[in-house]
Amino acid sequence: MRDYSIEPSVVEGKPTFRQIDELIGAPLEKMPDKKFYIAISITGTMFLTGIICWGLSFYYGTGLWGNNNPVGWGFPIVNFVFWVGIGHAGTLISAILFLFRQRWRNGIARFAEGMTIFAVMTAGIFPLFHTGRPWLAHYLFPLPNDHSLWVNFTSPLLWDVFAVSTYFTVSFIFWYVGLIPDFANLRDRTKNKVKKVIYSITSLGWRASNRHWQHYELVYLILAGFATPLVLSVHTIVSFDFAVSIIPGWHTTIFPPYFVAGAVFSGFAMVQNVLIFVRKVFNYEKIITVDILEKMNKIIILTGSMVGYAYAMEFFIAWYSGNQAESFVFINRAFGDYAWAYWIMVSCNVIFPQLFWIKRIRRNIPIMFIIGVLVNVGMWFERFVITVTSLSRDFLPSSWAYYKPTLIDGGILIGSFGMFFTLLLLFTKSLPVVSIAEIKSVIDGAQPTHHHKEANNGK
Amino acid sequence: MEQNNYNYVKAELPKSVGKTGVAFLLVGIVAAILAFVLEPARASFSSLLLFVYLMGLGMCSLFLVALEYLTDAVWSVAFRRISEFMTPLIFIAPLFAIPVLFNMHDVFHWSHGEAVQTDKILQWKSPYLNMSFFLIRFIAIVGIMTLFFYLIIRNSGKQDKNPDQKYTRINVKLAAILIPFFGISITLISIDWLMSLEPHWFSTIFGIYYFAGSLLSAFAVLTLFSVKLKEWKILPDFLGRDHFYNLGAFMFAFVNFWAYIAFSQLLLIWYANIPEETFWFIAKFNGSWKYFSIGLILVQFIIPYAALVSQPSKSNYKRLKIMSVWIIFAHLYDLYWLVMTTFDKNGIVFGWIEIGFIILGIGVVLLLFRFVYAKRNLIPVGDPKLNRCINFHI
Amino acid sequence: MENKKIYSVVGLFDTADEIIHASEKVVENGYKKFDINTPFPVHGLNQAMKLKSSPMGYFALVFGLTGTAIALLTMAFMMTFDYPLNIGGKPLFPLPAFIPVTFEVTVLLASIGTVLALLFVFFKMPHNSHPLHDSNYMKKCTTEKFGVCLEADDEKFNEADAKAFLEKLGAKEIETIYTVKEDVPPIFTKQFIGFLVFTVIVISGATYFVTNKLMFMPPFNWMMDQHRVNVQSVSTFFPDSFSMREKVEGTVPRGFMPEEYKESPDSAGKYLQNPLEYNEKNIALGKKKFLTYCSPCHGNLAKGDSRLKDNFPKPPTLHSKKLKEWTDGRIYHVITFGQGVMPSYAKQVTRQERWAIIQYIRTLQRALNPSEEDFNGAK
Repeated sequence: MRDYSIEPSVVEGKPTFRQIDELIGAPLEKMPDKKFYIAISITGTMFLTGIICWGLSFYYGTGLWGNNNPVGWGFPIVNFVFWVGIGHAGTLISAILFLFRQRWRNGIARFAEGMTIFAVMTAGIFPLFHTGRPWLAHYLFPLPNDHSLWVNFTSPLLWDVFAVSTYFTVSFIFWYVGLIPDFANLRDRTKNKVKKVIYSITSLGWRASNRHWQHYELVYLILAGFATPLVLSVHTIVSFDFAVSIIPGWHTTIFPPYFVAGAVFSGFAMVQNVLIFVRKVFNYEKIITVDILEKMNKIIILTGSMVGYAYAMEFFIAWYSGNQAESFVFINRAFGDYAWAYWIMVSCNVIFPQLFWIKRIRRNIPIMFIIGVLVNVGMWFERFVITVTSLSRDFLPSSWAYYKPTLIDGGILIGSFGMFFTLLLLFTKSLPVVSIAEIKSVIDGAQPTHHHKEANNGK
Repeated sequence: MEQNNYNYVKAELPKSVGKTGVAFLLVGIVAAILAFVLEPARASFSSLLLFVYLMGLGMCSLFLVALEYLTDAVWSVAFRRISEFMTPLIFIAPLFAIPVLFNMHDVFHWSHGEAVQTDKILQWKSPYLNMSFFLIRFIAIVGIMTLFFYLIIRNSGKQDKNPDQKYTRINVKLAAILIPFFGISITLISIDWLMSLEPHWFSTIFGIYYFAGSLLSAFAVLTLFSVKLKEWKILPDFLGRDHFYNLGAFMFAFVNFWAYIAFSQLLLIWYANIPEETFWFIAKFNGSWKYFSIGLILVQFIIPYAALVSQPSKSNYKRLKIMSVWIIFAHLYDLYWLVMTTFDKNGIVFGWIEIGFIILGIGVVLLLFRFVYAKRNLIPVGDPKLNRCINFHI
Repeated sequence: MENKKIYSVVGLFDTADEIIHASEKVVENGYKKFDINTPFPVHGLNQAMKLKSSPMGYFALVFGLTGTAIALLTMAFMMTFDYPLNIGGKPLFPLPAFIPVTFEVTVLLASIGTVLALLFVFFKMPHNSHPLHDSNYMKKCTTEKFGVCLEADDEKFNEADAKAFLEKLGAKEIETIYTVKEDVPPIFTKQFIGFLVFTVIVISGATYFVTNKLMFMPPFNWMMDQHRVNVQSVSTFFPDSFSMREKVEGTVPRGFMPEEYKESPDSAGKYLQNPLEYNEKNIALGKKKFLTYCSPCHGNLAKGDSRLKDNFPKPPTLHSKKLKEWTDGRIYHVITFGQGVMPSYAKQVTRQERWAIIQYIRTLQRALNPSEEDFNGAK
């Protein structure tokens, strides 16, 4: 039974600062073990598959993909939206939960932010290749050129360029700012000379001075304040890619918040899945507690229900609008050629997460892992359903077509997972995956016991 | 389990609250009756406006209470009662919808049988937009929300006498169940009472738009009462800047959220430029409505944003007081913009009728506060989180 | 020991409560130049140290507004003034469509600017040669202990007093930190400059090679090699070996209307009417077209006296009686189908322009041979 009169502990067992240092620093000090090599060889193989398929697409062009007319946006856009969405959970945990002062986020924020950065890197590759000539991608930015033409600033595809690159940059800065004190910690603990030089450079000579902490904390808050609307804007703009058009099933005003909710939903499922391994492999059970996983599951059910709300709203308004094209598209989604994809999406996104209403399931690690995987499958199919069904059945029945991905499409999808997990594995071995300074600040007894009188007597 | 060591002594509200409330209520009722006699159509629109405002306020206040239980929030424990005091609006507000029901034909175009006969789209919609289903939805929503109000608020009240954690535990569960019902209810209210004013128009985000504005006004009312109670020295001393900072921060956050939703709706419709959607915005740029529509951006986004963006301003009592009043009226401005454009398509109508209904609304809220305050404790003395709230620091 | 001078006296504490207490005491004691080093930000320490609130918020504001201005001005310059394009019928300054990019640039500049200002202006980082670095004190402070550092620059500072003071507060591991001056070698040595020059050359060379040469070499030039038929080339597919094909017989362009009275100028003169209103605008158009297409032969004033005179069958004057008596339709027929040496001008001059030319010719005829009435009218 939970006692509401006591603030719940974030870190179990009241470890000392030194224990925290040793626990979090351990993966960086030990040589990788056999399990690591097995894992990285699997993800590396997947990555290599992707590299080959990307190379082929680079050389021969986008004709290798299943994209056809009228389905000009096939797997690459589906994957792009999927991976950008995965990234959103990281910023939500690190920035939004920080603004809400959810102390439990301190144990998982660093890792989630890392996932954000890798997911956005993975996502960025897809539109790059989709341009057809990736080596000319710099023209996505308004560079002065011989034709004195500029990019089209009214195009949502261009907004994407700005949104995703800003998102990556700001996430990276946010991540790095958070890492500085930890680099200083590692610098002062390491006995290896080479590492010491590296950590000295990366820590920029941080001295843990409170005169610095003061500004540092405010800047961290400001960055969180910027990252919060930024993360909303990114998936909003991704949704604009679809919603500013007039394709039935794409043009609907609920898309922006619906896409954001969906992104957070899938992102949380991914973070939860990966954290289950991380806490087991690195013995972080006391830092990444079951309580934290339970809270994440609550957010999964909340965002899952928001997504369900959006599905229902879309369906209802498609009927309510009296617009024949809209009504047709939604009936076609549910009962047409791609009905299988649609029902995978509905069951994985709306139905299975509802199991999290039951507390025992919320705290059961194998079951929550399975539901998390299902959520990601469902969210991938959501993007598939949105992209493909609407395009394959647009206004002109004469140009209807069925979309089938090719092997290269599949290889690239596998490769994107390979890239993401390879980067993640390298991350666990090269940087502290839990923020040392932040986790220390929320151990029971780490903060001073308050004297009420001073702070609270403003006018 | 720690016991709360806070000793609550009930203070008298200033007499002026009750007096102003009664005066406003009387003036408002007289104005409303006169209005219904003289200009029933215009009065119905004003009454509808008052209903959607107060209903949104009541439902979102209940939502705030539920949110505190669900998120295990600590800072808001001592403020929770102010939101609770507003929740009876859930069954008071529908009183203002009743006169509208008697003037349905003036307000809702789809309620005309002949109009539906000749209009294919309205015929298509008639399984949803018809009088009996409309009434069923209305009664069901009020009923369900009142039920949740009764259960949650009763548990909260019982805890004052018997500080048992089981009430918190039950309320957390009730709050979780409330959320989906709340989501559906507020969406249906927005579709039925606001979107169907223009029965050909549709927008999937509309429920969220109404929710964003209503939650903003619920926060603003909460902030206004908190600051006033603080000024009257009724609110205990432990509630200081750190607590008020949260109110300011949440108002700021929801100003942004509202702007985000409003911008999304505008941009998508403007960009795609499909006649069946765009006409709604075009009508809102007709005649003097044009300036009113542009003013909305200023009133509900730019000014509150600029006023609350800096960190110290979020815990500055004076700033909070001004901005909460501002936001309360900004939300009214927003709803007025949604409702009255249907009443007169050519330009702004604003006169004694509209003012009368606004005064009536203020009177209702003040008197409601006054009476519930007299009956219940302002501080949830039995709440297990109260001690943590007292010790709350940013 | 000239190179060594006292930087500070330091002491360590175990808990956050102790450090808050210690910092309050240090402030009470009148120390100005001191610092507290903690492994994580401790709540309430800023108040205990009596620090002024951080101005970083203003930096964010200024950088953010700069971003907003840059984004809006750049987009307005590019889309509204430099190369205006009609996109989807939207205005040339479509503000709603500019908001997403404006927002992104605002956030980008505000974040980058604030963090750079924080790290490089406020913290003066990177700074790896601070006297505290590598001391036992620093190693404890970044990991597990809370330290007080009383700096020697302070007016009140005195090594023995400071040590005694810290001891009284209950600090452990009290020690003195010295600044050690080392000879820093100059950065811009010959080798370093050479390295810079080398880097510049390599990078610019590589860029030049990739963009200007590599893209024109196989296999990277495959975009140039396309399976399309070039104009004026021999076709191996069609039996007549023309790669450019004739139009199918009877093909007409969109909106095409056949000319009437092709073979019968008299009917044209009889039935065709000038559809244009006789006004200044049409005359101006007629003048423009006349000077372009007609004047090379007929002369600027249509007197048949152009520079082609004597080099060519003499073009007739348009002021002859015959011409004056011809109806507009008759002249139209000549322009449309030609007469004698004069070819058809149907392809160069649109119908409307032909009628306008006729109006201009009429104007010239009247202007060069005014009648009595014209003069009277002028008075």
